[in-house]
Amino acid sequence: MGLVQREIEAVGFTTITLSGIPDFTASVSVPRVAGLLYPPGRPMGQPGDCAGQQAVLRATLQAVLEMEKPGEIRYLPFAWPEPARKTVTHPDVLPPIATYLRRHPWLYPKLLARDVPE
Amino acid sequence: MTQPTNPYPFLDYLTRQMVKSWIALEKPRPIPWTPLSRPLQECTVALISTGAVALKTDVPFDQEGERQNPWWGDPSYRILPATATTEDVTVYHLHINTQFAAQDLNCLMPIQRLNELAESGEIGWAAPRHYSIMGYILRPRTLLETTAPAIIRHLHEDAVDVVVLIPA
Repeated sequence: MGLVQREIEAVGFTTITLSGIPDFTASVSVPRVAGLLYPPGRPMGQPGDCAGQQAVLRATLQAVLEMEKPGEIRYLPFAWPEPARKTVTHPDVLPPIATYLRRHPWLYPKLLARDVPE
Repeated sequence: MTQPTNPYPFLDYLTRQMVKSWIALEKPRPIPWTPLSRPLQECTVALISTGAVALKTDVPFDQEGERQNPWWGDPSYRILPATATTEDVTVYHLHINTQFAAQDLNCLMPIQRLNELAESGEIGWAAPRHYSIMGYILRPRTLLETTAPAIIRHLHEDAVDVVVLIPA
């Protein structure tokens, strides 16, 4: 996502990524990151929590107004409402790459090195 | 707020290792910067989600291609109109639990929340179109050479000022 953000900002749009893994997003040198440690699948909040989702969106846009230094991460002042160990974070069926690497664990270093087979 | 003590509370061990490893692979490069040119109340705002969200009437994201080759992810994009609701879409991402967005798209892609900010005057306008890509692209060439330019053309056509990108 960070790479796409760079392309869009570079041609004249003001951009921000709302990221649950902010240092990962920021690592590709993006202009603005709003950091919010919410789980995958629910980056805006719980389903049905209109007020919570609205607060996150509003704070993200407010960060756009306030951030003046390229590459900054602005952590938003919200906390996920349940303990991480009780939070559903994964799909019911493992992603294909996870299943594949369980069967081919010797290829895991390739993923770590981003050495992706053709 | 400052950097939290545990930056990856929701990632499993292997994903955490991958994230740390990929961060270490990156070198700083020049950061593009477009300052906001007008107050938010005069801006048009568009959303981009990596949730692989598509209208039910549109072509699905290619899940089968990824199942056949787990190192590959569908690099295409879909347009979501500002009127799109939870009932109108399917979420095709194979790496997230899609049950939550199936209940309420706005927990993944806040199209209705953005419309509300436009109605209340906090932003100028919600863009007429938003976009989704698939957030698992290990080789980003097509994404950057074909998909990003296409989305950028749409953003220009819609006179968008601010783009909020929301990884799934």
